[in-house]
Amino acid sequence: MSDSRLHTHTYDNGLTLVAEAIPNARAVAFQFQIPAGAVTDPQDGQGACSLLEILAYRGAGSYTARELSDALDSLGLQRHGAADLEYTTFGGSLLREDLSEALSLFADILLRPHLPDEQADTAKTIAMQRIAALEDNPSQKLFVYLQEAFFTSPHGRSTLGTPEGIGSLTIERLREDHAQRYRPMNSILGVAGSFDWEELVRTVERLFGEWAGEAPPLPQPETEGRKRYLHLPKEDASQMQIGVAYPEIAPDHLDFYNSLMAVQVLSAGMGSRLFTEVREKRGLVYSVFASNRAVKDSGLVLAYAGTTPDRSQDTLDVLLAELKRLPEGVTQEEVDRARTGLLSTLVMQGESTGGRVGALTRDLFLRGRVRTLDEIRGEVERVTPESIQRHLEAHPPKEFTVVTLGPAELEVRE
Amino acid sequence: MIYDRIELENGLEVLGERNPDAKSMALGYFVRTGARDETPEISGVSHFLEHMVFKGTESRAPERVNLEFDEIGAKYNAFTSDENTVYYGAVLPEHQSRLLGLFGDLMRPSLREEDFNTEKKVILEEIAMYEDRPTFTLMDKTQEWFFGSHPLANSVLGTPQTITDLQRDQMLAYFNRRYAPNNIKLVLAGNYDWESAVEQAREITRDWRPDDTPREIPGVQPQTGVRVERTDKFNRVHLCWIAPGYSEQDERRYAADVASYAIGARRGSRYYWALTEPGIADSAWFDHYSKDGVGMYTAYASCDPAKAQPVADLMRNVLREAQDEGLTEAEVNGARRKLAAGRTLHAESPMGRLMSVGMNWVYRREVMTLDDEIDRTLAVTAEEANAILRALPLEQSALMGMGPLEELQ
Repeated sequence: MSDSRLHTHTYDNGLTLVAEAIPNARAVAFQFQIPAGAVTDPQDGQGACSLLEILAYRGAGSYTARELSDALDSLGLQRHGAADLEYTTFGGSLLREDLSEALSLFADILLRPHLPDEQADTAKTIAMQRIAALEDNPSQKLFVYLQEAFFTSPHGRSTLGTPEGIGSLTIERLREDHAQRYRPMNSILGVAGSFDWEELVRTVERLFGEWAGEAPPLPQPETEGRKRYLHLPKEDASQMQIGVAYPEIAPDHLDFYNSLMAVQVLSAGMGSRLFTEVREKRGLVYSVFASNRAVKDSGLVLAYAGTTPDRSQDTLDVLLAELKRLPEGVTQEEVDRARTGLLSTLVMQGESTGGRVGALTRDLFLRGRVRTLDEIRGEVERVTPESIQRHLEAHPPKEFTVVTLGPAELEVRE
Repeated sequence: MIYDRIELENGLEVLGERNPDAKSMALGYFVRTGARDETPEISGVSHFLEHMVFKGTESRAPERVNLEFDEIGAKYNAFTSDENTVYYGAVLPEHQSRLLGLFGDLMRPSLREEDFNTEKKVILEEIAMYEDRPTFTLMDKTQEWFFGSHPLANSVLGTPQTITDLQRDQMLAYFNRRYAPNNIKLVLAGNYDWESAVEQAREITRDWRPDDTPREIPGVQPQTGVRVERTDKFNRVHLCWIAPGYSEQDERRYAADVASYAIGARRGSRYYWALTEPGIADSAWFDHYSKDGVGMYTAYASCDPAKAQPVADLMRNVLREAQDEGLTEAEVNGARRKLAAGRTLHAESPMGRLMSVGMNWVYRREVMTLDDEIDRTLAVTAEEANAILRALPLEQSALMGMGPLEELQ
């Protein structure tokens, strides 16, 4: 990935188009990122972004819901997208020759949805069912509650919304909300794969040039006064779900690559520390991992383990011990493996249009610009065991927020 | 694309689809063995063995194995199904020889007693994990019931009892029976070097001896009817329905795939409009799976407990209606196009191509380019899709409901 494959264009209305050419690709992936996420849902209407995403496809422009769905299908579009914490995404992947036509359908979906009266109740039923279905997905439920325990700002909200919020939203309020938040300023359109850049810039200008306005700003993430331990009892679960979160620096921080590489040492390949200590040596789990996560202007590390109840205290103890042991130092070999793994992942991600489009839009959102592979390689190569240790001494993993789900309440021994 | 193939002296076939423009290369050992090749007392051994393969060899300690994969930045894993055990990985082209050498060595594992006992705990955790996942649990139970005495009724994971009782020597005996070179394919994809791969494969497998590795492929006498697995562990009612379909060796599978996609794709299908779009079920799909000598249609839905009966009725009525009225040209076209686009996306990386290239050879000794695969999908006419749909034997189906419900018809 050299600079010449990367293109960006910001339109007068604030929409940014970012695209990466992938030579020989037969497909193209695109993703709209709209500034309507759970963090900017109305306080008494949590779930609005989720409802708007459901309703967007139920008739738009000159199309009925059925016609719209058939038109997307006839393009062979593999649709992706969902309401998320800080934004809602729309898009998908398809063969390169159909890109313009797909973008034109999405101009209707995003700018001219019908939001009809008669669909409001159905959309609410669907949103409520998604909340109910969370009960049958214990690991997903764990992460919803871990996020809620960790953030004291609206970043702790579930992207699914709340039953009360969804219940109280009327179609009139949703229309007002759409008018407020589905706006071009700070919206992103990412494209990756095979395309003609000049033509793409013109097509997007034609379809989205008249769009105007700015959504309300994102709140600042806060973790001050967060919960330290939360247990969600579920007596009949076979496994305990264990989640741990602690604060880290944001992705645009100068030291970010030291933080990233430290977590890679902890949990990248199967030779990394958590996999070795928790699974390979002790056989405590099938699944264990840690990873860097970020919201705009803030970072955190999430760790997870799933294990049967009578081994769960041991598992939590070993997991936390490994996190706390990090600032004692990492070896050169560990750093070398982490670097090789990270760079290999990035090169292989470059082979996938869907993988690249997600990375492009996320980079632009979190950092305000897109990094090239050469830049990331340079940054990663500067990381040494010493630089990681300096970072970890300043930002040691501590003051964990722990959430457990299952039959056994555990003791958090820090 | 360049297609390579050679059969080594010991019966091991090496084959690949070479793409010099790719940024990575992928390779895999495809072993033709799985749950259907097990006897009841060793249920779960194929999958447990797949774990043990990563636990070292005569020349490699277990802890070295993971480190070596990490040193070359390999993206790798393995899976065990009813009928295949596949070990696969991708690396940048300069690491081809280390990846090939490492996997090749692992294919002759030590199966040390101490590692066996530690890994047994991991397998028991994996079984416990899936017990908390209703979709997996229900599909497993429905398949077990539907296939009756057919070996496809066997469970991939086994039970806590069979895993606990399993002895290291039983695993070794199974390994000796099933991991003969003539029962394995070494498959390559992407930007690989063919000459050196063949030379290295020959060297690594020099001492491997061919053996008889039979597999029974009996016909299916499907178990039919309706069953309820009552449990308060789950909040939703989960429904799974199975009927006979077309095998990997049957050309009609393309039409069955297209018809199934029109009936039950996650969006834009008949199931979508009847079940998901109006909010009657929170999830509903219908699909067709081909296996060795056997095929099956599967439908799945989850919903509020109060709606279990209407959802179960709709799952079958939508099918019946489609059989009577037929799918429209537009529906079949949408299904074809989405399937073709899906195949294209899947083929973007060498890792994605590896699976298609390998399975085409394992099941049919067939070489197919991505374009061949797409053309076969796009060639299915509405007439063919409707004919295949009408032939679907609704009366030979099994429906199982699981969750907080008393009865189901």
